[in-house]
Amino acid sequence: MSYDYIEFGDTEKEFTSKIEEISGQNIFSCYQCGKCSAGCAFSNLMEKTINHTMQLVQLGKKEKVLQSNTHWVCASCLTCTVRCPREIDVAAVMEAIREYTLRYEPETIERLDLPEELLKKIPNIALVGSFRKKSEL
Amino acid sequence: MKNSYFPGCNLKTEAKGFEQSAIAVSKALDAELVEMPEWNCCGTVQTMTTDNLMRRIAPVRVLSRASNHVKELKNSQNQVITLCSMCNSTLKIVNAEVKENPNDLEKINFQLENDDLVYEGDMEVKHFLEILRDDVGYENIAKKVTNPLEGMKIASYYGCMLLHPEKAKIDDEEMPTVMESIVLSLGAEVVDWPYFKQCCGSYHIVDRDDIVNSQVVKIIRNAKKTGANALIVACPLCAYNLDNQQVELEKLGVEKEPIPIFYFTQLMAIAMGLPQKVNHFEDHHINPILLLKELGLIGKKK
Repeated sequence: MSYDYIEFGDTEKEFTSKIEEISGQNIFSCYQCGKCSAGCAFSNLMEKTINHTMQLVQLGKKEKVLQSNTHWVCASCLTCTVRCPREIDVAAVMEAIREYTLRYEPETIERLDLPEELLKKIPNIALVGSFRKKSEL
Repeated sequence: MKNSYFPGCNLKTEAKGFEQSAIAVSKALDAELVEMPEWNCCGTVQTMTTDNLMRRIAPVRVLSRASNHVKELKNSQNQVITLCSMCNSTLKIVNAEVKENPNDLEKINFQLENDDLVYEGDMEVKHFLEILRDDVGYENIAKKVTNPLEGMKIASYYGCMLLHPEKAKIDDEEMPTVMESIVLSLGAEVVDWPYFKQCCGSYHIVDRDDIVNSQVVKIIRNAKKTGANALIVACPLCAYNLDNQQVELEKLGVEKEPIPIFYFTQLMAIAMGLPQKVNHFEDHHINPILLLKELGLIGKKK
């Protein structure tokens, strides 16, 4: 039996190790228990569940990972991180995927055009937080 | 005793009532919060990347200035107190990180040379809730209560940043008790509810208020179902999301009868009979005075 259908060449390896480098986590620790997705408050809004994303990162499937909205919906509440039985900082992996996009593929980010009244109303911690997570500022 | 206090940006704008009530309460409990000079924004959200030292400069600058402030205060412990739980989390995490990695600290200190600052890694970051629990003690809070909050059924909302991650948590992450204990010492009723740390949606309020709304509905419905007539929070962003979005949800016809959101220090100020102006209730989107009047907790003759 051959496993040719699982490609893990240089391109795949490069993506996986970049995510590991930015997040400081060992992606291959994940054994797909699904606790991160089960406890996530935003799973219902994600195109791919978190554990699915973790597996795609393990396999180096960059396009599939970046196309999904999973890492942008993540609000960094760290519930997955404190519950992971393998002690992976899962939220840091989501952050690393955001950072990867911001560092290497910034042209895919939509620019925000916020109305004046919203800017006046919204607390500054929300604005700073949002810009720091979703733009290269 | 005097404590060095780091306000953070929101305590001067949207959350004036949080800051002023906390300072009034701290004075009454002899654990005064004294604002540190020349503070800057802590960066709001901590970076979870391993390689971005730039995002860690601002918190370290705050810590080094706080360290100088503590020396000026005399007889003060080597700690800086925060009220906002996002500041608390960011400062605590970065503090732990630079203590673990002296090489990173050296690089960051190099950046602080222009300000004539050096951070020695000698500070602790504490949330005001920790001061109330560990330094003041619940029984001493109870002693100062002149206007027990009878009739208030309070759901304590911790949000995520007070309990996550390991480096920044102030209490047990799955079963915290600090806010509940304070509520009890104020003479109010504690509501046991499961949504105490369900994320409110945080900074998504800027461009994805649908995410925040879906969270706020879950949180508020659960609070009401368990019998709460008010929520307490310790974070200006949780407060804004829960407060303002309840009004928005009412406009959308999704959820009726909003319940008021208080900072825990505002309720302490009311229970301790401190002047009401420190609470800045006019900044709230849901008027909290209605409930307080209904229960006869304010406007009574002395």
